[in-house]
Amino acid sequence: MIIIENLKKIYRMGDVEVNALDGVTLDIAKGEFLGIMGASGSGKTTLLHMLGLLDEPTSGKITIDGVDVGRLNDYEKTQFRLYKLGYVFQDYALVPDLTVMENVSLPAMLRLDRTEEQTHAGSFEVLQKIGLCDRRDHLPRELSGGQQQRVSIARAMVNKPDILFADEPCANLDSENSRLVLDLFKEINEEFHQTIVMVSHEDWHKDYFHRIIRLKDGKIISDGSNGQSA
Amino acid sequence: MGKKELKVAFLLALRSLQRGSRSSVILTILIIGMCFTNMIFLPSMFNGIGQSITKQVVDYEVGNVLVSPKSGDKYVADIGATLDLINGMPGVERATPHFTKGATLKYRQRVLGVTVRAISPNDEKSVSPLYTKMVAGSYLGEADTGEVIIGRPVAGDASIRQEDEFQASLGGVRVGDSINIDYGNGYVKDYRVKGIYFTGWSQADSAVYVTSTDMAMVDPKALDNADYITVKAKPGYSEQFIKNELLAYGVGGTGKVQTTADLLSKSMGRALQSFAIINMVSLVVSIIITTVVLFIVITIKTISSRKQIGILKAIGVDKEVIMHNYGFQVIILGILGIILGIFLTLVLADYMAYNPIVTPEWSATLYVTPMDLLQNSVILFIAAIVAGYVPAYQISREDIQTAMRT
Repeated sequence: MIIIENLKKIYRMGDVEVNALDGVTLDIAKGEFLGIMGASGSGKTTLLHMLGLLDEPTSGKITIDGVDVGRLNDYEKTQFRLYKLGYVFQDYALVPDLTVMENVSLPAMLRLDRTEEQTHAGSFEVLQKIGLCDRRDHLPRELSGGQQQRVSIARAMVNKPDILFADEPCANLDSENSRLVLDLFKEINEEFHQTIVMVSHEDWHKDYFHRIIRLKDGKIISDGSNGQSA
Repeated sequence: MGKKELKVAFLLALRSLQRGSRSSVILTILIIGMCFTNMIFLPSMFNGIGQSITKQVVDYEVGNVLVSPKSGDKYVADIGATLDLINGMPGVERATPHFTKGATLKYRQRVLGVTVRAISPNDEKSVSPLYTKMVAGSYLGEADTGEVIIGRPVAGDASIRQEDEFQASLGGVRVGDSINIDYGNGYVKDYRVKGIYFTGWSQADSAVYVTSTDMAMVDPKALDNADYITVKAKPGYSEQFIKNELLAYGVGGTGKVQTTADLLSKSMGRALQSFAIINMVSLVVSIIITTVVLFIVITIKTISSRKQIGILKAIGVDKEVIMHNYGFQVIILGILGIILGIFLTLVLADYMAYNPIVTPEWSATLYVTPMDLLQNSVILFIAAIVAGYVPAYQISREDIQTAMRT
């Protein structure tokens, strides 16, 4: 469960203040597949980064599973991200010098509650799930964009996070690969009851979301289940 | 920082070096290797010169330990008993007396002032490799009289005109020629040149050697006196040990006992100090170059990987892991660079052992000890770690948003 209360983020650009987020209040339930949509510059990515502990809000409060994440120190935030959150970025963000298997295993290797065997087995399992087990010894540059994004999803999933954040994961993909990726998200959401928060600006993606919030100028202008507006 | 984090940091470092830019890795290793070689080259060459001079001083001048007249005395007296005493001591290979006398050589129209050294040829063989340095004719026999061996520079070259000579000579004396020696005490004698030698040590090469038997005819004091006694140590015995033994057995009462190191510290002290200062400057410059180069290499590496670093932090990789990733890269590059540097140094040392830089005064080889290699390796390794960890520390502290925006 994510509770967001009056979240504000103000960027200062010279003498001008930009309200990237202007008092966002929102609850996200466990197992929800939430889509954040809006025009460019509406604050979608900023909100996702706040929720994913990648950026600090100017004011407001975020509570994830009862933890006020604003009170965590730098190390605790790192550990929170490692154990509780998963990320999929627009440009895949894989480590170019690591193989597919090593990229996927990386977050799991750092977990203290996993043995080497468990890490390997978990990575293998998630690679099987995304259908790239046979490419596990390849480097990211040897894969297509769609394959790289699937690897990125596998890396996000390997630690079985409570929440999966995806920042325009299909932005660099054609429609066929986009659909493959979105189908994968849907499958993960349904099979593991995985909370997914995804930023998108493609209208046809909304078919995959349980709920969609729309942002404009840092404010929520609509919040409702798929096809509805609140 | 736990074992798992270190393992991940090492894996990231290893993969970056294995699968990243190969030319950058090779270039960095090459630079570290060259810096190492630069650090060690000049000091080793100075050490080589020092060793070369020391060896020549030991071989052709004073042996390992020198017994010279006590203050106020002109000669080491009672030479027979003193030699018996010294030769019977543990650690002494052989002791041999030298009696020297200034003289004027005459050959045809040439006149040359030299020092004539009287030796016991057989004993001298145990102390000095002079007998192996004959370039013409043969070495002195124990009972030779009327015969001398002379240095090649003294003999000279008949094809060089007197006014063109770098060093005054007799203008081309050959084995079998007769030269006239005037000792200045009224004793003048013609000698047959039995051999010509060349040692490379200018003081020895500018001298003339006769037997002690012959010198006794020139100056009867040579029978039981010496200007000095050179003592050669057996392998495995230190000069200091021999000196202590000689003093303990009372040789100090007959003459002044000094090791080669004692003598060189006085005569070459200032030169050695100058060498030490130049070595220090060379070392500091090399360390600065290495540190700056590695700092630049790692800074470029981290700056070009800022986004990557932001992503790693975003997925839960701790900043310490990121810092140690670059730290390990520097450690690996440093170790490989040092290994290359050691290899280059040893190849150079080997090459210079066969092709020394030769001057009229000394020949320079690289004198490298395992301790030199170890010390320079440690210094360079520490410099590399500092140079690598500073930018790695800075970049790992950058916030995720700033890093990811680049």
